Amino acid sequence: MRHVVTRPDVPAPIGVPVPRRDGVAKVTGAAAFTVDLSVPGMAHAKILRSPYAHARIRRVDLDAARAHPGVIAVVSAAELDDVHLVYGHAVADHPLIAVDKVRFAGEPVVGVVAEDAVTAEEALRLIDIEWEPLPFVRDTAEALGDDAPVLHERPGEQRPHRGFEEDIRRTHANVCSSSRQAWGDIAAAFSDAHLVVEGEYHYPMCYAYAMEPYTALAQWSDDGLTVWTSGQHPYMVRDDLAHCFDLPLAKVRVVVPYVGGGYGSKSYTKIEPLTAALALRAGRPVRLALSVEEAILTTRGDAATVRLRTAFDREGHILGRHATIHLDTGAYAENSPLVGRKAANRLGGPYRILALDVTCDVVYTNTAPASSFRGFGAPQVTLAGESQLDEAAAKLGIDPLALRRRNVLDPGERPWPKARGIDADLAGDLALAAEELGWDAPLPPGRGRGICLSASDAGSEPITTAIVRVLADGSIVASCGSTEIGQGSSTVLAQIAAAEMGVELDRVHLIQSDTAAVSYDRSTGASRTTTLMGLAIQAAARDLREQLVEWATTALAPDGPAVEERRSGVQVGDTLHDWGEVVRAWFGGAAGEAVGRGYLRRSGATAEMPPFWEIGCVGVEVSVDEQTGRITIEKLVTVGDIGCAINPQTAEAQDVGAAMMGLGMATLEELVYEDGNLLNGNLFDYRVPRTTNLPELRTVLVERGDGVGVYGAKGGGEGALNPVAAAIANAVERAAGIRLREAPFTPERVWRAIQERDAGVAR
Amino acid sequence: MIPRFRLARPATLDEAFAAFEAANGDAAYVAGGTELLQVMKMGFAQFDTLVDLKGIPELHGIEGDGGGLRIGATTTHREIERSPAVADAFPALVGLVRSVANTRVRSTGTLGGNLAFAEPHSDPATLLLASDAVLELAGPAGRRETTVSEFVVGPLSTTREPDEVLVRVRIPAAKPGEGRAYAKLAFFERPAASVAVRVTVDGGVVRSATVAVGSLTEVPELVPDAAAALVGADAGDGALNEAIAGGIATLGSLDAVEDLNGSADYKRHLAGVLFASTARAAIAEAVGHD
Amino acid sequence: MTDVLQAPGLDRVAIELVVNGVPRRLVVEPRETLAEVLRDRLDLRGAKVSCDAQVCGACTVLVDALPVSGCTFLAVDADGRRVGTVEGLATDGELSPLQQAFIDQAAFQCGFCTPGMLMAATALLEEQPHPSRDDVVHGLEGNICRCTGYEPIIAAVLQAAGGDMPSSRREEVPAVTSAEAGGDPLDPGTEPVESQQ
Repeated sequence: MRHVVTRPDVPAPIGVPVPRRDGVAKVTGAAAFTVDLSVPGMAHAKILRSPYAHARIRRVDLDAARAHPGVIAVVSAAELDDVHLVYGHAVADHPLIAVDKVRFAGEPVVGVVAEDAVTAEEALRLIDIEWEPLPFVRDTAEALGDDAPVLHERPGEQRPHRGFEEDIRRTHANVCSSSRQAWGDIAAAFSDAHLVVEGEYHYPMCYAYAMEPYTALAQWSDDGLTVWTSGQHPYMVRDDLAHCFDLPLAKVRVVVPYVGGGYGSKSYTKIEPLTAALALRAGRPVRLALSVEEAILTTRGDAATVRLRTAFDREGHILGRHATIHLDTGAYAENSPLVGRKAANRLGGPYRILALDVTCDVVYTNTAPASSFRGFGAPQVTLAGESQLDEAAAKLGIDPLALRRRNVLDPGERPWPKARGIDADLAGDLALAAEELGWDAPLPPGRGRGICLSASDAGSEPITTAIVRVLADGSIVASCGSTEIGQGSSTVLAQIAAAEMGVELDRVHLIQSDTAAVSYDRSTGASRTTTLMGLAIQAAARDLREQLVEWATTALAPDGPAVEERRSGVQVGDTLHDWGEVVRAWFGGAAGEAVGRGYLRRSGATAEMPPFWEIGCVGVEVSVDEQTGRITIEKLVTVGDIGCAINPQTAEAQDVGAAMMGLGMATLEELVYEDGNLLNGNLFDYRVPRTTNLPELRTVLVERGDGVGVYGAKGGGEGALNPVAAAIANAVERAAGIRLREAPFTPERVWRAIQERDAGVAR
Repeated sequence: MIPRFRLARPATLDEAFAAFEAANGDAAYVAGGTELLQVMKMGFAQFDTLVDLKGIPELHGIEGDGGGLRIGATTTHREIERSPAVADAFPALVGLVRSVANTRVRSTGTLGGNLAFAEPHSDPATLLLASDAVLELAGPAGRRETTVSEFVVGPLSTTREPDEVLVRVRIPAAKPGEGRAYAKLAFFERPAASVAVRVTVDGGVVRSATVAVGSLTEVPELVPDAAAALVGADAGDGALNEAIAGGIATLGSLDAVEDLNGSADYKRHLAGVLFASTARAAIAEAVGHD
Repeated sequence: MTDVLQAPGLDRVAIELVVNGVPRRLVVEPRETLAEVLRDRLDLRGAKVSCDAQVCGACTVLVDALPVSGCTFLAVDADGRRVGTVEGLATDGELSPLQQAFIDQAAFQCGFCTPGMLMAATALLEEQPHPSRDDVVHGLEGNICRCTGYEPIIAAVLQAAGGDMPSSRREEVPAVTSAEAGGDPLDPGTEPVESQQ
């Protein structure tokens, strides 16, 4: 790893690659994930799913299943008339179990609870349903047709979700939201253009494959509802559960143990309402552990069709961009309206563009629902935007890197009028990528290079709280609603608490993601945790220190001398008192504790939106096997521009992981539907990267202290994914003279492009 | 989840037949289980009884057979991969089993199970087809022998009677001047295309050839036209190129099946790429034995 | 242990496993997989079931030192054999060199694949105590990790083997310079301080 550091000095243990605090638990098998938990009396659920893409449920016969020995409850929508079945944080359109009709093959129709999972599965086979198949829509083009079958006869109730209220517009019966981003005189931009590059780009339906499939365990008691879940956002899940079961927020407890991968796919609510409903009817705690096949049918990423035109002047300056994006959200809106808003925002990229006009429609189809997925709209639009820069560079005879340098935003420059200025040195990042990749070095035949950028308005909403406490012995407990999903938050947030309180890291205990034990955080996503929760923990620590200095004055030096604040305590005269001593002195005994509160909202440093820009900067060198069409990524460079690496090891790890996931989506991954049925809904046929796909890696971490977060930090973990597909497409063009516009770049697609190229040459 | 079943663990073939019979036909034989249990898990098959063949000594093990091989049906891929006898008699088979699935599947999956399951993308079937392997079967009605082409009749479909057991595979010894090669291209768990070529070379000229393709068609298929294109070719480079080009042309008429790996066209093209490399490899090996 | 034929087959089988060196006797249904028995009956929940199709390797455990997919390997087939799981890697609370290497290299993130990855790597090192990088890449091809991008895992296995590990990925971060100075205070005017690791 190459490490470039120009930020100011930071206190220990910030910037230190301390070992991950979840390490021992995870290498010994002791780390408990939701599927590893059980509670006394727990029963097991299995779900009957629709075999049809779109069908009316005529009749449901559950008698035989109910009579099966070992079955506790068999539940369809009819058995849940006391539950608000429909939820959804942006557009409430998603019934927790099918009501009257199904909208995709794989939709839950009946739940069976039994003493064990095999018995529940046996009972599923005894359920008889009479279906009336309906015409269905396969893709966005079909869905937007004049006489297309309509998935949702009535629009889902719109929920107040800050940031994109105006986007929830049903511009077509199969559109759940339509986002627009525009500025400048777009007509003039194109009429003045020296060159217009135009194309249609396709980004596939992908599956995040968090290796832990969705799992939830629900338990009802006199106190309300407790749900243990593999979800990323405990508080968002809590809110939906309170809505579905008409409970006060205070009566819903959501606990998230270790999470086996999220990548956005475990954002928001998934199977928790269904599990809670089954537990309610069963009168027992119920675990619902999905298989990977079921997980694929629960959430996938939004597929995208991007029609993009970019206008350039003679020198390659971008004059304007006009785009129409169709996102395929499948049967339900889920979080796709927000993905659509971000796709519209992110299409421009980190460039100075005089005029822009982007419309992004989120379209229902009769396929599995799509929602958040790492990159969140950016991978989809970056393929189009960054491809066109190289297409233009080739036509204008300008080096693609030079063309990017010519257009890239300067630090502080605003991508669009009301946005926060870019908090990064993008030209510097490009230079590092070029250096590591050896941009100017001679290439062997059949090889090509590409370097691409992205900038994402990341961080989501700054609605975040944290509590930091000093116990009587001076040890620290920090508690927060951010989830450890593998990204290392349990280590990084503890480092921040330790640095802010001036104590050794092993004196800090961090509590995460139990709504009964920690205070509110909006979500663990949008690369926000280190930045926003870091700020909240810092604020709580500072609140705490302020109190402790006051307490020290009261308890230790009521009549002077003045109490001076030190890094790890207070100084009174010649004596240094640690925080524990202050607490004990104030309470006048050996016990007590002090509580600090950290609140973060749109105010102060986080008033401007987005809270930060997440940068993606990736370079690749590829080779193309012209015989088979197979692309090999020979070399991969990531430049992690993250302001301050609280833990350089986990920061680098996030970049590498994200880039490899991007490599998978660019070259391997695609869910394939045929006539409403998913053909490869399993890990046998859905291929993700393996060790043998790993290229030679060069990683760079850049710390310029230019983020809004603690010590100048800003988010990472998604950025390195976003430009990968475009970088590969651009490198392939330079290697083989073909332009790929449809990801993944499968061997056959590449081979066909080569055939076309050769046919063109022959003509 | 794997549905419930009863388990019989016979020590002899006769006990196995009796157990099968006792389940009134609602039974299946199982060895490594890597295919069968997976299918049961997915809900595509269910049986009252599984008859485990792993305890029957006769079905297991590898023996040299005058330059040929006798491989018991319950012999695992891993055992084949590490067998000195196989390395000696049939290096192409070692290379093949080394690339089957993953190390876990190779530890438990068996050659017989693979052949009896008859997945159209099976690796071994294609090479064994080109190698004139003989399959020995035993059933309550007696014993018989068959060939791969007679045995595999469709996707997941063989001429094995439900109560019959695949006992072993006999692979004939390589003839003087014979070379055998196998190669595949795989983008997913199973190959997109695979080709096996067997040739004999005498006096620098290809005297006989057998070509089998797998994963393209519903069952592994012999392609006599592709083989014919090689026969008579000079094993030296120039002439060989032409023969190989001729062989590739004949693959264009294969009834390839489109799947997630690609269209029929593309898969035929891949078979051509593989044909070129395997033909060269087999001829090179044959020349070494010439 | 039974090889006695009982038509029409047994619906319960008494088996004896030696799990991480400890003999365990229990009665199982034939349908029960080794992963189910380890996790639900023996409370060894390290091995994880993910793809449930013998593809991902999260459920990898060792039977007589060979790696198998616990999701599909029947518990009855482990009868009379030695079973190794992630819980058996540490001895007396001390991590094995491989486990320590996984921590040193941050060879995990979410940790769901880790128990299987560790067992696959254990089997690999058993057979090839001094693997090349290529041996590790091919030896672990059948184990999926969706978080790390594999590089740290490969580094960890090579570290545990004492082999040709890339120079430490856990080197201390270099001393930092002030943003105002824009470079190394000892050498003003140069490029920002860098370390090449």
